[in-house]
Amino acid sequence: MNDATSFGVHRLWKDTFVSSLKPGKKGPKRCIDVAGGTGDIAIRILDSARENYADRETSVEVVDINGQMLKEGFRRFKKTMYHNTPQISFHEANAQALPTDKFMDDTYDLYTIAFGIRNCTSIPAVLKEAHRVLKPGGTFACLEFSRVNNPLLGTLYDQYSFSVIPLLGTILAGDRDSYQYLVESIRKFPPQPEFAQMIREAGFTTGRDIDGGAWSNLWGGIACVHTGVKI
Amino acid sequence: MMLSSVRLLQLALPLVKNHGFTRDALARSVMALPLSEAHTEPLSETSVSALFGSGDSSRRNLIKAWLDDGIRYMDTMPPGSSVNEVLRARLEYNEPVLQFLPEAFALLASPQSGLPPLDLRPALQHASTIADKACRITGDKSLQLAWYTRRMSLATIYSVSELHQLTSPDTAYTFLETLLHSSVSFKSSLNEVDLFSSYIVKSWRGIINSYGIL
Repeated sequence: MNDATSFGVHRLWKDTFVSSLKPGKKGPKRCIDVAGGTGDIAIRILDSARENYADRETSVEVVDINGQMLKEGFRRFKKTMYHNTPQISFHEANAQALPTDKFMDDTYDLYTIAFGIRNCTSIPAVLKEAHRVLKPGGTFACLEFSRVNNPLLGTLYDQYSFSVIPLLGTILAGDRDSYQYLVESIRKFPPQPEFAQMIREAGFTTGRDIDGGAWSNLWGGIACVHTGVKI
Repeated sequence: MMLSSVRLLQLALPLVKNHGFTRDALARSVMALPLSEAHTEPLSETSVSALFGSGDSSRRNLIKAWLDDGIRYMDTMPPGSSVNEVLRARLEYNEPVLQFLPEAFALLASPQSGLPPLDLRPALQHASTIADKACRITGDKSLQLAWYTRRMSLATIYSVSELHQLTSPDTAYTFLETLLHSSVSFKSSLNEVDLFSSYIVKSWRGIINSYGIL
């Protein structure tokens, strides 16, 4: 369904997201991928570290609140070389309140969350938890739908979002409401400067409030990568 | 206290003399924080990209921060300093990182998108900013066209002196003095030519008047 509505572009965005983080470039990293049940980001992180930097020590802990998604991710990883290795593990937990016994303070080098934070009821709580579990010097990276600033592209995007996506939801998944929610939740998500400010308020240090600084727009801002560093 | 990436960039500046304009210098900025906040290890590649930009963008940002710091360094010159003293101070600011400057300027002149093959705008901006600052510090009161020519001439003199400094640091200051002296002589010659031309124009006007043409 995601492939149908985005013409597969979400895969390119995820590729760009992970390649921009360069996992494993300067040694193994301990990563946590939140709301990553299906393992889309985790597998990209591990592949990128292995293929580009011959790194087989980088590990990813996949966290999701949805057990079904985790099962899907687990099943998918059974087809890969990472199955049954210390490089991958799956955990059912709430991003807003990660269990402190399992996810201890100052533990991870990299925290990723892709197309997930928008669906959390309290974004500041997620950011606070991300800040807690990251080591000093660790990076928070979020891939999320965002705000299109080009008026022409924005109009086309709005037309497509409100007309075509719910229709595709009805035809392909028999579920118009969920896809209507998807489109509306994207519009409600804070625009780039506002979200960057929220990241800073959680205690992270970011680049300047420009495209290429605190955030990097993808496809004119349809999606966006936000980053912050715990100093 | 929430740290800004600008502060880390400032902390990276003193590291340039040892690490050059590199991502390594940026990564080590957190080790230069006050003791209570200082990290024991440099930032990771991912964190450097997140804070300062990916690839060479981060290096460009470091070079620009260093150039801006150079302008602030000129402000420490006492009021009433001569142009020679101000430009000399700016050249002295280059000295600790002189070995890294050719590569830094080459990076600034390299276009980010591939075209045009050589981007001279950063070099022009660098020289003109220094010339303008020098004029402000020395209390230059030029107006109209002279305002532009004064800045253009100082920008040219500084650029040439800086290029000279990259290859022959020992003679750079003498070279700067010579250029400034020549520019003064050139300016006075131009003034004399201008004065002499005005006399000729006046005399021709008188001759034409005496013939009753005008």
